[in-house]
Amino acid sequence: MFEKVLIANRGEIALRIHRACREMGIRTVAVHSTADANAMHVRLADESVCIGPPPARESYLNIPAILSAAAITGADAIHPGLGFLAENAEFAQIVGEHDLVFIGPSPEHIRLMGDKVAAKRTAQELGIPVVPGGHAVTDITEAREEADRVGFPVLIKAAAGGGGRGMRVARDRAELAQQFPIAQAEAQTFFGNGALYVERFLTKPRHIEVQILGDGQGGIVHLGGRDCSLQRKHQKLLEETPSPGLNLTDRQRIYDLAATTMAKLGYKSAGTLEFLYENGEFFFIEMNTRLQVEHPISEMVTGIDIVREQIRIADGAPLGYRQADIKFSGHAIECRINAENPETFTPSPGLVQRYHAPGGMGVRVDSALYQGYTVPPHYDSLVAKLVVHGGTRNECLMRLRRALEEFVISGIETTIPLHQQLMASEAFLNGDYDIGWFERTFNGKA
Amino acid sequence: MTKQSELMVDGDLVRALAALLEETGLSEIEYAQGDRRIRVVRNAPTVPAVTVSMPSPSAPAGAPVAEAEPVGAVKAPMVGTAYLAPQPGAARFVNVGDHVREGQPLLVIEAMKVMNQIQAPRGGQVKEILVADGTPVEFGQILMVLE
Repeated sequence: MFEKVLIANRGEIALRIHRACREMGIRTVAVHSTADANAMHVRLADESVCIGPPPARESYLNIPAILSAAAITGADAIHPGLGFLAENAEFAQIVGEHDLVFIGPSPEHIRLMGDKVAAKRTAQELGIPVVPGGHAVTDITEAREEADRVGFPVLIKAAAGGGGRGMRVARDRAELAQQFPIAQAEAQTFFGNGALYVERFLTKPRHIEVQILGDGQGGIVHLGGRDCSLQRKHQKLLEETPSPGLNLTDRQRIYDLAATTMAKLGYKSAGTLEFLYENGEFFFIEMNTRLQVEHPISEMVTGIDIVREQIRIADGAPLGYRQADIKFSGHAIECRINAENPETFTPSPGLVQRYHAPGGMGVRVDSALYQGYTVPPHYDSLVAKLVVHGGTRNECLMRLRRALEEFVISGIETTIPLHQQLMASEAFLNGDYDIGWFERTFNGKA
Repeated sequence: MTKQSELMVDGDLVRALAALLEETGLSEIEYAQGDRRIRVVRNAPTVPAVTVSMPSPSAPAGAPVAEAEPVGAVKAPMVGTAYLAPQPGAARFVNVGDHVREGQPLLVIEAMKVMNQIQAPRGGQVKEILVADGTPVEFGQILMVLE
C-alpha cells in the first residue's frame, strides 16, 4: 500500500482525500497555492508544499511544480481530486512516467471519454443509447430527412458551436423550414462556419447519472445512480439518490447497462456515466472519468468509501466484492453550499466569522471551512456539502430541513437560504422537477 | 492556529518585556514558564513585535504566526531542491557578507532534473542564507536576504 499520497487539489475535496488516506494509515502531502496556505487540509496534512501563486494555471494546474513537490517529498502516488488535472490524460501519463501512481483511470480511458464526440461514438459502439442525431446536414432537405429520422422536436446546432449559442428548436417540419436558414446564418456569423447538425430535442429531461467502480482486473460494480436535475446554468445545486422520477425497473435497467458496458471497456477506478432521461428513454451525454462532487450520496446509501476504493484499486487490489454484495439502503440528498448571494449568485469570498455545522443522526458535512478562515476569491465558490441520509425520502427531507436550520456560516453570504426555499417548494418535495425546473421557477431572482 | 477562547495574553508581561527591550537595547527576548512561552522581537525602527505560542499537544502543526517579511528577501519562484554551489564540492555561489550585482547567480533550484539559476533581483550584500545545501524548497520560501 502507498506510504505517501500527494493530494493535487484544494478545498473540501482535498480534505476528503486526506481523510481517506489517514484512515488507511497513509501519509499525506498537501500541495497548495499561496492563497491556500491556511486551508484546513494543508494544516492537517503530514506535509505541505507551496507550489505557486493563486492563479490555478501557476499552481493547481502547474504540472512541473506538482511533480517537483512529489519528488522532494518522496510521495508514491498522486490523487488528482476533481476538476483541475483530474481529467487531464497528459498529466495521468506523465505521472506514470515518473514512477508515481496516478489514482484514477488509465490515460487511455481519460482520453477516450474526454473527447465528447469520440465518447458518444464509443458509447454507441458499446450499445449505450445516445441522443439521436449528430450527423452534419448541409441543406434543408438533409435537415428534414435527419429530423424525420431522429424524431421531432429537434435542436438545430452549429457543428463548430458551443456556449449554448447557435442552437434553435424546431417542433415540426414547418418550424424546421423556418429556423434552418436562420441557424445557418447565425452559425456563420458566430463561429465562421455554417455547418449544422440536427439532434433530438429533449423538452423536460432529468439528469440521471450512474456511479461505477472498476478494478481493471475484470471487477466492475455500480453504486446506483444519482438524480442531478436541480441545476442553474448547467451547475448542479442539489443531488439525490435514488431518483424520485424513475421507477425501480428503469433505474435497474440503466445501472446494469452502465456496469455491463464499463466491464466491456475494462474500466479501472471510479467513473460516472451521465444521461438525460425522458419518457422512459435514457440518452448518454458524457462520462466523467474521475471522482465527482456528489459522490457522498452514493456512499451514504451503500456504505462504500469511494475514495478509499480508488486508492485500493490504484494500489492493484481487486474489488473483493461483487454487485450482489452491495446493499442499497434508504435515501440520501446533498446540498451544495456556495459562497454566493442566494438570490443574485454573486460570489461572496471573505472571512468566515462564525461557523457551526449541523450534526445528529444521518447528517454529514464535507467542508473545509472553519471559524476564522478566509475564503479566497480565486477559485470556485463551493464551500460546503451538506449530505443527509434517511430511511425514506420523506425522512431525508425532514432531516435536511432540520440540518439546514442549524447550519451557521456568517461573515460571507451562502446559498443556505436558497436550499431552505427548496425545502418549502412543493414541486421539489414531490420530486417533480426536470433540468429546466429551477431556472423556470426561480427565474425572477436568478 | 490558536483558538480565540484560549488565548490569554498577559498584557502587563508584554509591556514589561517591551520596556526591557527598549531599556537594554536588545533586539529579542524570549521568556518561558512551564509550557507557556512568549517571545518579543524588535523588528522595524521602534516598534517591538510580539509572538505568543500556546502549548499544542496533538494539534495540527504548521499554521505559521505572521511575521513581517524581511526587506531584501529573495524568494523561491518554484518548487525543488536548493543547491548553494554549481557542483558538489565546488565553491558556493555566494557567502554571507559578499557584495552581489543585480543578475548575479545566488543559488540553483533543481526541479525535475533541470537546474534553474536564481539570480539577485538587485545589487546588495548577502545578509543571510536561509536554506541548507541540498534541501527541498517550496514556492515563496525565503532563500536569502540581501541588504
